[in-house]
Amino acid sequence: MSTAVALKPTQRLTGFMPLIALAALVAALTIADPDFLTQRSLIAVARTAAPLIVLAAGATLVVLCGGIDLSIAALASLSTVFLALWLPDLGGLATPAVILVAATIGAVQGVAHVLLRIPSFIVTLGGMSILSAVALVVSGAGTVRVVDDSTVRWLDLYLAGYVPMSAAMAIIVVALIAVVLKVTPLRSWISATGYSESAARLAGTPVDLVKIGAFCVSGACAGLAAVMLVSRQFSGGPTMADNLLLPAVAAIVVGGTAITGGHGSVWRSLAGALVVTLLRVGLPIVGVPSAYEQILYGAIIVVAVALTLDRSKVSTVK
Amino acid sequence: MTVTSEVVNAPRRQSRRGASFRDAGPPVALIVIFLIFAALSPQFRSTDNVQNIVDAAAVLAVVTCGITFVLMMGSIDLSAAGVMGACALTVSLLVANNRNDNDFGLLGIAVAVLLGCAFGCVSGLALVLLKVPSFMATLGMSAVGLGVATLMFAGVQPNISDTMVKGLAIERFLGFSYLTWIAAVCILVGWLIQRYTRLGRYAFAIGGAEEVLLLSGVKVNPYKVAVFALAGAFYGLGGVMVTSQLGAGLVQAGDGYDFSAITAAVVGGTLLTGGRGGILHSAVGVMLVMVLTNGLVQIGVSPYWQGGVEGLIVVAAVAAAVIPQRRRNQVVK
Repeated sequence: MSTAVALKPTQRLTGFMPLIALAALVAALTIADPDFLTQRSLIAVARTAAPLIVLAAGATLVVLCGGIDLSIAALASLSTVFLALWLPDLGGLATPAVILVAATIGAVQGVAHVLLRIPSFIVTLGGMSILSAVALVVSGAGTVRVVDDSTVRWLDLYLAGYVPMSAAMAIIVVALIAVVLKVTPLRSWISATGYSESAARLAGTPVDLVKIGAFCVSGACAGLAAVMLVSRQFSGGPTMADNLLLPAVAAIVVGGTAITGGHGSVWRSLAGALVVTLLRVGLPIVGVPSAYEQILYGAIIVVAVALTLDRSKVSTVK
Repeated sequence: MTVTSEVVNAPRRQSRRGASFRDAGPPVALIVIFLIFAALSPQFRSTDNVQNIVDAAAVLAVVTCGITFVLMMGSIDLSAAGVMGACALTVSLLVANNRNDNDFGLLGIAVAVLLGCAFGCVSGLALVLLKVPSFMATLGMSAVGLGVATLMFAGVQPNISDTMVKGLAIERFLGFSYLTWIAAVCILVGWLIQRYTRLGRYAFAIGGAEEVLLLSGVKVNPYKVAVFALAGAFYGLGGVMVTSQLGAGLVQAGDGYDFSAITAAVVGGTLLTGGRGGILHSAVGVMLVMVLTNGLVQIGVSPYWQGGVEGLIVVAAVAAAVIPQRRRNQVVK
């Protein structure tokens, strides 16, 4: 897009940061463990990364609009519960039903954000709390086992024998979002909303609809991530996806999407999600206790946000 | 001269009336909700239950004291859960416990509070030096805290045997547990800081009009860091209090307290935009949240709904606070 206005060399470098980090990580892991670049471990990485990629891709749209969606993980957890509960009755229809419900919940949060003029992180923080409570109540605070998983098992198959279907789906989702953004005016609307909302409003951009749409897609992606999780774990649980919130946020900011909005893309979040997954998988390989994983996420989020921030926009940071 | 003073006075008087209405709202709501539950449930209005509510509010009150200062500045703090976890593990490993031979008693508590203070300090520095928005900086810091706590936990739960720390939650003074008295002291100290120190006054001013403060030549950054450090110290104390209640150090010690504290502060009348509210408002908010959660359980609502009720309250309270300025605030991120 023409939004990239004459980038400075340093900015161009940070643009490639996620790819550089990805290559460096793969190299480091291969040196640490020569078995890493085998088909088996790469497939494992791809399968682990799939739900994270989908979650991060959806939430990226919200971040591009200048907001944040903190409810994605809780929404995905709730969706796993719904899917597990509905599979016996709805069968194959359960998957689209869950994604539809998740998209609706996302849209409702978007409407609350836009109409009530509440900051997005408060709406989604409240949403996170509400959705977790609903998931606990609906599931009776326990794991819901899936007895007959024939309708979601296709996600656990392998494409052409090697590529996990869930990873392929994740890539398709990212590509789909990217293509839709590219061929429609949506990309410029989202960018305009993110860069300067008041300017976008004056220029006639349907800012409110764009934002609600972004939240809606974010919700739908959380629903799809939930389907992937259920197909892998054969059950749904009220806290199953909760630990994906930090990795997803980390994936978005590591990819280089600015938290201030406007600058970034879903492809970047794909790279970011792979970086985060490699870190997660790689830490045990190089012999670091997994407790450091959390510390690393925290540090990554702070550093990556600091690096990608649009400093011209933040005179006073709250 | 008289004309100008009238011009200045007129809007001020109006805003004061608005403020007093806003100040009166939460206490009135507290009384109304209390009376409703008292009418609905005989168990709720028993003296034992009232004592329970007050005792159960202790930890939340301390955490809310900390978060109130951050909210007054217009920032937000999501790090309470992580900081409390790290401090809970720290204190449980420093006082008499089953994992090592340490027995530092009060010194252990002091170290835990200082650790919380250090966490807050790092959040504040990330905000001030790296310009990372506070909700991101503290989200990251919460993860760091949980990671540090997991490292210290190391797979074996440290059960404390220190009678002093355990006694804080069990032994009573004038009908209330020592933790409740600690919380009361925290509220008093918080109120004194807010009312009589430069830190407290500037926290208000930063939330109200940071640009004006900057233009007047005030260096706000040190105060921002100090406010986050102060908040961290309160979370640290909160972690110690949870450890005393549980008799063991758990990574999840602070689970949910971050959001409950924001709920309590917002319900009490501390605006997320900053510059309004205060410790006493938040104390009322804490009681509101506790009465509501206790009352709902007493009339037979599943305790799992607690988080949902808090979420609804926050969204509703923030929306209610924003409505008067809807026309002005066209841009909301």
